[in-house]
Amino acid sequence: MNKEVDPKELEELETGEQLTLPIRPRDLRRSIRVTIRGRSVRLAGIRHIPPGLLGWLLVLGPGLIATSAGNDAGGIATYSSAGAKYGYDLIWVMVIITVSLAVVQEMCARLGAATGRGLLDLIRERFGAGWAIFAVGVILIANGGVTISEFVGIGAAMELIGVSKNLAIPLTAGFLWYLVVYGNYPSVEKIFLAMTVVFFAYPIAAFMGHPDWVQVAHGAFIPKIRWESDYIFIVVGLMGTTITPYMQLFQQSSLVEKGVARRHYGPERADAYFGSVFSNMMSIFMIIATAATLFVVGQHEIETAADAARALEPVVGSAAKTLFGIGLLGASLLAGAVLPLATAYAICEAFGLPKGVNLDFRRARVFFNLFTGLIVIGAVVALIPNIPLIKMLVWIQVLNGVLLPIILVFILLLINDSRLVGHLKNTRFYNFLGWGTFAMITFAVVIMIAGQVLEPFGIHLFGGG
Amino acid sequence: MLLYSKLRRFALIDGKGRRAKLIDFIVELLPEGYPRVTHILFRDSRRKQEVLSWDAVVSIDHVGRNIKVKDVETGELAPEEWLRKRVLLSDVHDSMILDLEHLRAARANGLLLKEEDGDLLLCGIDTSLSATLRWITGGRFGYVPKATTHDWAAIEFLRGDPQTVKKCMVDGEGIAKLPAGEVARLANQLPYMHAAELIMLLPDALAINTLEAMTARRRLQVFEELTEQRGLRMLELMAPDVAADLMGTLQTETMQDFLDRLPEVQSKRIIDLLCYPEHTVGGIMTNDIVFAPMRMTIAEAREKLRERLKEPDFVYLIFIVDDEIAKRQQGIVPIRYLLTADDNQTLQEIMDKKVLTLDALESADKASFKVIESQLAALPVVAPNGQLLGAVTVDAAVLQAAPEAWGSQAPRIFS
Repeated sequence: MNKEVDPKELEELETGEQLTLPIRPRDLRRSIRVTIRGRSVRLAGIRHIPPGLLGWLLVLGPGLIATSAGNDAGGIATYSSAGAKYGYDLIWVMVIITVSLAVVQEMCARLGAATGRGLLDLIRERFGAGWAIFAVGVILIANGGVTISEFVGIGAAMELIGVSKNLAIPLTAGFLWYLVVYGNYPSVEKIFLAMTVVFFAYPIAAFMGHPDWVQVAHGAFIPKIRWESDYIFIVVGLMGTTITPYMQLFQQSSLVEKGVARRHYGPERADAYFGSVFSNMMSIFMIIATAATLFVVGQHEIETAADAARALEPVVGSAAKTLFGIGLLGASLLAGAVLPLATAYAICEAFGLPKGVNLDFRRARVFFNLFTGLIVIGAVVALIPNIPLIKMLVWIQVLNGVLLPIILVFILLLINDSRLVGHLKNTRFYNFLGWGTFAMITFAVVIMIAGQVLEPFGIHLFGGG
Repeated sequence: MLLYSKLRRFALIDGKGRRAKLIDFIVELLPEGYPRVTHILFRDSRRKQEVLSWDAVVSIDHVGRNIKVKDVETGELAPEEWLRKRVLLSDVHDSMILDLEHLRAARANGLLLKEEDGDLLLCGIDTSLSATLRWITGGRFGYVPKATTHDWAAIEFLRGDPQTVKKCMVDGEGIAKLPAGEVARLANQLPYMHAAELIMLLPDALAINTLEAMTARRRLQVFEELTEQRGLRMLELMAPDVAADLMGTLQTETMQDFLDRLPEVQSKRIIDLLCYPEHTVGGIMTNDIVFAPMRMTIAEAREKLRERLKEPDFVYLIFIVDDEIAKRQQGIVPIRYLLTADDNQTLQEIMDKKVLTLDALESADKASFKVIESQLAALPVVAPNGQLLGAVTVDAAVLQAAPEAWGSQAPRIFS
């Protein structure tokens, strides 16, 4: 709200030079004094981001949303599976991934601010059409997979509430499509977002589950590596669901949309860092809550959404299933609409094709076909009868983990191109962290794939699992 | 019509049957007409990059998929400055273009060439997805849709590097012919580096209109990428209120530097506006207004104001003051009154005296509604002693009162 200044607070300036400006308030907050043409003037119309906490709160937004989007159906399934199967043993992976996520998301935010363009668009311009097509393929597979997982999540959530997935999934797919193309999506988005507030019950559940905090700290800071295929598999899944390629697309596009000028990028870093830490804290609490409720009682496998919901029982008791269902539905609906839209946007941007839901079908045929195609594929695959829901969700996150290094290489090459990003180029320390993240994920993926490939030839890389 | 995606896979072959691998073509961008291929870039038997003049080409063999040249051995090592010329693959293909026919930004997914009098000319661009299919299949698959092919004359191509714009741009004739509103709309579709490149290319008046039509954030992004000289010129010509908004967002040292270097009148106007906080009337007013003393006759006023009226953006109202030094607000005279009144009348006789005035430090939001409700094109802003400081126009009031997203209503969730 703007506060009117009391006229009594005004004073007249005596300087003849400022004839057109005879008044100014006694106390102009946020004004600065500068010397121009040898004359000292106080300027109150400066619009810089204020220093301190207020300024920090003002920049929060895209980073927080982008990273929180990782806690969707696939994320919940993977974190719950990790907690149920290995207790607190995998929290150290999350601690390392938090640093990696913060670095990757910040690099994408920086790319967005420095160039004003999306990731695929930059790949197209910097590496040419061939590499752009390759990157589009990677993004299509990764985002297509996550879209499937969102519809699987919608089906699972509806069944928890008591609605058949065979009815719920087609109806929801049609509803989401209509909402984005013809409806008022931004308004409904807020409802979806509000539904995910349920997941704030996880930190409470983590505390109410009375975990052994010494073991939690042990699991967080002392890496315990098990040479088992399932262990490596879930580690790749954790990496894939926490540093999902679509989060990078989303982060960069959001910064582009926010219109941050490259010389004013500095304060925006805080958003990417805070978003990464906040979202991963939620993920860690999911693992702790599941470990404290399921792992300790010997339930190491999560087969259904109802199993995952049991982690919330310490907080909400018998209402756990319903509340978990509502949260899962909100998260899945949110991502189920945004993800196909973001993918279609990014791909059309790379090829300079007309894009946007405000265009008609004839003008933006490729855009609408991509958007519709992703929703239809997501819904159809999720309708396949007797698929192991949770396993499928985890598999999709593993696929994301496998594809992630490819996207990371593009990001790292682009952010080191000074012609493109100017003074916002990576520092050596950032390159160390960035390439370190790439090496870590690639190593895990290679080990996992090698284990699977060599198994039929009688070569056992892993001891068990 | 030759497809670049196909042609770049051709081999070079000379009269003695020696073959070389074609890398790319070097084109010369001309102010008029189609760009002409001047040289062929190829890799010789020692795997070194060499160039050969297009004059050395004998013919293009479409069946055998090769370009016949006189002698591959006459190629010269490619000098740096030659490689910096327009190489089709790295500089034109994949670049962003402005389709002036359909008024949209697109990408050069495919290039179309033609042979004419022994020359190879770049005559068009294909923006379709089909061109990408042709690209990856070496021209074997993918048709050429007419709807998405554009003649070279109907496009502008941008490289997203405003600092080297003079070397990159073809010329500004094409887009400069468009109305300012259309140019602004096109510029808003572009990434900001490309929009800055466009501003560098446009004539001053059109560049100013385009910049002023942008949102404040985008204006800052684009402005900061302009060369210093161009930025200074833009600030000099910009409406003071828009310039003050922009200056208020620049880094302090940059702002100081520009204010020191701007012409004194414009610098002073901007400083005067910058003295007011953002959400006050002073923060949204303009001080580039036309005013005249009340005792002036209509004939004198017309004569005196003729030149002055050419300058400011806002000319629909003349603000009447007691005298030119004290500048105490007395009334307003719409231009229509000035044109229809008798020469011998004074401004005092024809002015509207009962005009609501605004305080420079009152809330911009509340004042905006006063302006809108007044049904006038602007309301004067006065100091407590009655001195005229500026005016809040209905445009500024509407922008202030409307929701923030109103200016960019088209849902552009992802860029």
